Amino acid sequence: MSVAPPGSNPTVEALGVAVAARVPVLLWGAPGTGKTSAIRAMAQAMGLPCETVIASIREPSDFAGLPIVVGDQVRFAPPAWARRLADAGHGLLFLDELSTAPPAVQAALLRVVLERAVGDLTLPDEVAVVAAANPPEQAADGWDLSAPLANRLCHLDWQTDPRAVADGLAGGWAAPVVPALPAGWQAEEVLSRGLVAAFLHVRPALACAPPSDAASAGRGWPSPRTWEMAARLMAAAGAAGSGDEARSALVRGAVGDGAGVEFLAWLIEMDLPDPEEVLADPASFRLPERGDRAYAALAAIAAAVAADPTPERWTAGWQVLGLAAEAAPDVAAVAARVLARCRPQGAALPAEIKLFAPVLRDAGLLQA
Amino acid sequence: MADRRIENLAAARLWAAARFPYLASGVFGAQVISEPDSGTVSVDQNWRLRADPELIAAWTPAQLGSVLIHHVCHLLRTHGERAQAAGVGDHEARTWVRAADAEINDDLVPAGLDLPGRPVLPQDLGADDGLLAEQYFEGIRGGRRPPPAGVRGGRWGDGGVRSGQSESGETAGAWLDCGSGADGMPRPGEGPGGLAGWQADLLRRQVAQDVIAHGKQPGTVPAGLLRWAEEILHPKVDWRRLLAAELRRAVAQVAGAVDYSYRRPSRRSAVAGDVVLPALRRPVPEVAVVCDTSGSMTEDLLAMVLAEVEGLLRALGLARQVRVLACDTAVAPAQRVTSARQVQLIGGGGTDMGAGIAAAMALRPRPAVTVVLTDGYTPWPHRAPKGTRVVVGLLGAGAPDAPPWARAVRVEPD
Repeated sequence: MSVAPPGSNPTVEALGVAVAARVPVLLWGAPGTGKTSAIRAMAQAMGLPCETVIASIREPSDFAGLPIVVGDQVRFAPPAWARRLADAGHGLLFLDELSTAPPAVQAALLRVVLERAVGDLTLPDEVAVVAAANPPEQAADGWDLSAPLANRLCHLDWQTDPRAVADGLAGGWAAPVVPALPAGWQAEEVLSRGLVAAFLHVRPALACAPPSDAASAGRGWPSPRTWEMAARLMAAAGAAGSGDEARSALVRGAVGDGAGVEFLAWLIEMDLPDPEEVLADPASFRLPERGDRAYAALAAIAAAVAADPTPERWTAGWQVLGLAAEAAPDVAAVAARVLARCRPQGAALPAEIKLFAPVLRDAGLLQA
Repeated sequence: MADRRIENLAAARLWAAARFPYLASGVFGAQVISEPDSGTVSVDQNWRLRADPELIAAWTPAQLGSVLIHHVCHLLRTHGERAQAAGVGDHEARTWVRAADAEINDDLVPAGLDLPGRPVLPQDLGADDGLLAEQYFEGIRGGRRPPPAGVRGGRWGDGGVRSGQSESGETAGAWLDCGSGADGMPRPGEGPGGLAGWQADLLRRQVAQDVIAHGKQPGTVPAGLLRWAEEILHPKVDWRRLLAAELRRAVAQVAGAVDYSYRRPSRRSAVAGDVVLPALRRPVPEVAVVCDTSGSMTEDLLAMVLAEVEGLLRALGLARQVRVLACDTAVAPAQRVTSARQVQLIGGGGTDMGAGIAAAMALRPRPAVTVVLTDGYTPWPHRAPKGTRVVVGLLGAGAPDAPPWARAVRVEPD
């Protein structure tokens, strides 16, 4: 497990990964908390041209293109900021104040955000789209984001760390670092897509679950598009070597908190040894390091034995507990109590059972 | 994994996991670190438990196991974060921890928690069982019963068990510092590491699932823990947020629905030559609020929701477009009210919200958004009224459903 270095902010790290992967990202945060300056500083640090477009003071035609009559045709002319980005070939499109944009403008933004199309012009693939918004309850004239627009973005919550503010005021703000992804990182996307696909086999209901109430419609929610986005972000986070917390923020930001947490929990579950495999070959068992994971693994093995207690499985179960008893006598003893209750007829008492007598006696669980 | 230098730890955790099997994941998920001379057992918000080996050597496994359970409950119930959210200052940290202790102990002590010293229980704070730490805290802060004097000396390392037996008699729970996991005040030397926030969230969900699974057999899990687990797995959304979102959405759809108009040319027509471009027009919607004033309504709840609606509409810049209609079976004339308290509940038994909606539709200018506040015991029109969006606030627990054509928000008194 990778642990974030002290003082680093997982949201900033996640922002960097999303920009590097060119996944449209939206920062939610109270006004005045430095979202805009962080994004500008990031563009400057990367040497990228940054075009700031404040969505709330624009009209739909600024994003859909301004109609111009040329001969007998109507062209949709892109505005100058789009032209500049297209000419540079790369850069950062920063859509500020997204939640104060009226619904008609949000509708016009749909194609810009996902397909990078502005009128008749398509922005190059190397242009990253970053947006910032105030939660509607904090902006007096705020609108909730429409569900289709929300579904095209990875939502990150911008948290202000008082210590970072203090440091920034004293010594200048540190620009978020956009990690350089190694060439060919997209190859890892196949793996993370496989994980997502396996998860959706288990929980098909989460493949597409549009939000039912207006309050949660403006945030991430699971759909085929956002799952694809989550797979891409996971691959990018892996390639960038970012911490688990940033990865978790990216996944939850893409598919929403509910589905994201379930997926992450499922991923951790996947790391646990398969009880049937362990029972077939007890010597192969490795005890997970974290206490609660060890407990989950041993409890699953004990439950598998209890469900089908043949003498061989029962003996194999005790062998596993014997291996675990040295490092985690208490965790193993909980599983041992389950096994002791389901002794099959004709099974000989295993030698491992003695290992647990002292701790059980200390805990007052052994009748003398 | 456990620090082996702490005697009895394995036995204590085993006791805890056997006595409270639904909390076992949490007990084993907390990392136990030996910290000599700290004089206490404390937790931080990253699920690390620091224990003074000398202090706990005197405890039985059951007592140490109970302290583990107690601390894990601090973490499960996120007392650290909640202390910060409640604005607990440094000088109030002790009071907060007593309130948090009461929230944990009120149903776990009856379930067999065997804490060393005398645990804080709600009656020590002059309160009833089953409340939240915030409520106990407000009760103490409100001066109903001041915290015992002299409890707060040096908070760290002033000699361990400050058990009341010595000077202040049987002072409940004044025995150790529970740490930043209980009061949210960072302690020196906590450093990074332990469980990250999202891992702690997952662990919390895991424990909640275990609690619910055990709770299927009646009588095995304390009711307070079951409520906690339900809240973790199915968090109740604040009705204020839902109502705000539904209102904003209704207004936004009206305001954004008719967005181009040829009545005035676009300011960009100059570049388009002979083509006449439409300009973006944003209509300002009129809003009508229909209040159910029949006898079955509670005045306080209606006033509260009405005040909320007015506040929301003011935030949307629509305060002057609001008209309020009081309605039972007959409809009182529309009134422009300036305060929610001005609405009188005069009605008798019967209710017909259909009449109220019809009266709202007869207003001129016609309201584009109609908010209906009712307890739900009313007939409704079969079809959605034309030309207005209806948001229904269903007041009170157990109100019947609103018709499918309306957006409904359930408002339950907190």
